[in-house]
Amino acid sequence: MQARTNEQWLAELRGPNPNEALSDLYDLLVRGLRAALGGPAGAANADIEDFVQEALLKITNNLDSFRGESRFTTWAKKIAMNVALTELKRRRWSDVSLQDLLARRTAAGRGLADPQSTPEQVAFQNMVLAELRGIIDKYLTDRQREAVVAVILEGMPIAEVARRMGTNQNALYKLLHDARKKLKLRMEAVGLSPHEMLAAFDAG
Amino acid sequence: MLDRGDLDKLVRALAETRESEIGCDECFEKMDRFAEIEFSGSDAATAMPLVQDHLRKCEDCHEKYEALLMAVGAG
Repeated sequence: MQARTNEQWLAELRGPNPNEALSDLYDLLVRGLRAALGGPAGAANADIEDFVQEALLKITNNLDSFRGESRFTTWAKKIAMNVALTELKRRRWSDVSLQDLLARRTAAGRGLADPQSTPEQVAFQNMVLAELRGIIDKYLTDRQREAVVAVILEGMPIAEVARRMGTNQNALYKLLHDARKKLKLRMEAVGLSPHEMLAAFDAG
Repeated sequence: MLDRGDLDKLVRALAETRESEIGCDECFEKMDRFAEIEFSGSDAATAMPLVQDHLRKCEDCHEKYEALLMAVGAG
């Protein structure tokens, strides 16, 4: 594959004969995806080729959004990685419903006290727990509560939670950020700073 | 909705919360530049602290970033 500057990539892909540049870009992205996602437990070759085809479409349709702040090939790999990981994650979580996740949690009642904790730590944790429960109930919206549980507590990918809540990843991150800020502020207002709470949990 | 097993996760998330954070779109937009700075051996976290902060908090973006680093390394 011939080395190209960013300008050469753009000129060839926009020009009348883009096939050689497209072919080189295809090879480059397949190699990149194999390195990132391959291996015994990784994505299959056929999947990787599909992801690269889809990424090439996105790349060639969005050349104007490349701002030249990195190498063109790094930008292209970023887009290919986004296509691949979004799809792989969608498949991995396809059987999980947000409602089931939330319902299971309500019914479960998990989390016993750490046997290593001192009676003082257990009492402090119980007090923090009660405060947090009260603040969550009183100040978070239903959507914020759902997002906090699914993303922060259950570790479900934010893009997958967003899809199920009818929004997008960026908007859900912002909703979660607002929820975290609100909780932090309200906890501090009752004299509980997160850093002090962590120090108290870890002490002993 | 909250039990003792959740406390640590939630309090850690609150401890890391900043007034101003960038979202996933802005992180994605800057991720290629960030990867190249890191790949060159320079301190990307100092050069782009808000991207670094987002990558620490957002598992989805962090996963894409790690994969991008591997792809860049593959040449």
